[in-house]
Amino acid sequence: MDKQLEKLISLHDLDVMIADLNRKDIRKRETEMGLHTEGALEELKELREAYCRNIDRKWRGLYNQLTRHYGNAVVPALMGRCAGCLTRLPTAVCSDPERNLKVHTCPTCGRIIYWAD
Amino acid sequence: MKYTALCKFELSAASRAEAIIELLDLFPAGEKSRGLLAGALDVREKVGATVVHDSIALPHCRSILVDKLTVVAGKSQTGIPWPEKMVNTVILFVSPVKPNSPQEHNKFLSHIAGKIRKSGDKIVAAGNQDELLDLLGFQHVEQGE
Repeated sequence: MDKQLEKLISLHDLDVMIADLNRKDIRKRETEMGLHTEGALEELKELREAYCRNIDRKWRGLYNQLTRHYGNAVVPALMGRCAGCLTRLPTAVCSDPERNLKVHTCPTCGRIIYWAD
Repeated sequence: MKYTALCKFELSAASRAEAIIELLDLFPAGEKSRGLLAGALDVREKVGATVVHDSIALPHCRSILVDKLTVVAGKSQTGIPWPEKMVNTVILFVSPVKPNSPQEHNKFLSHIAGKIRKSGDKIVAAGNQDELLDLLGFQHVEQGE
């Protein structure tokens, strides 16, 4: 898998973690269970900065732009379609066994696409 | 409601990282996805270990790398340093990233919390896989199902 794509997926999962810990219901539930969430949010935000520094400016800019616009910047391809907007993706890309070796974007919504291995 | 779960009753892992990798090996995902999931779970643990009821660990996250809630329960006879506390039961779960998945994730957390509150000591002392899964309200699925 392309290193930039790996980093973009990890950044996305980290953003989901931050969003979850910002949700009152999930934070309340985790605290009730005895899981310590104090300070976690700040640490995750610091980690996010570190992750971002390791991503090429071009992809980082696109990621941030897509996140602001759609809420999610990276989506899987499902049955040859972008899971974000359901546009059918080019057959040549979908059938390429090396499709994850570069960063692909949806031709319609622009989201970053990956294929589950 | 019974959730489906994979299970490895005799974990050989000697560390938190090894335990996460050993349980992720059962996941219906490729090697690269499992590696990325291990990274996400490790991040979550580093910012706050997920040990509850003294010896139960709940490594978890939400990720775009899974398309449905995936749960793996594991048990170690010798214990795993997590790293401050020893744990003998690990319930690893990853929820998908979908519009309604925060609610689904929270519902599952609530399910686990209820089971641990009700039978925490029994879960820690479970003597076999069926007993462990039953106490957790899980229905066993084999790898690949």
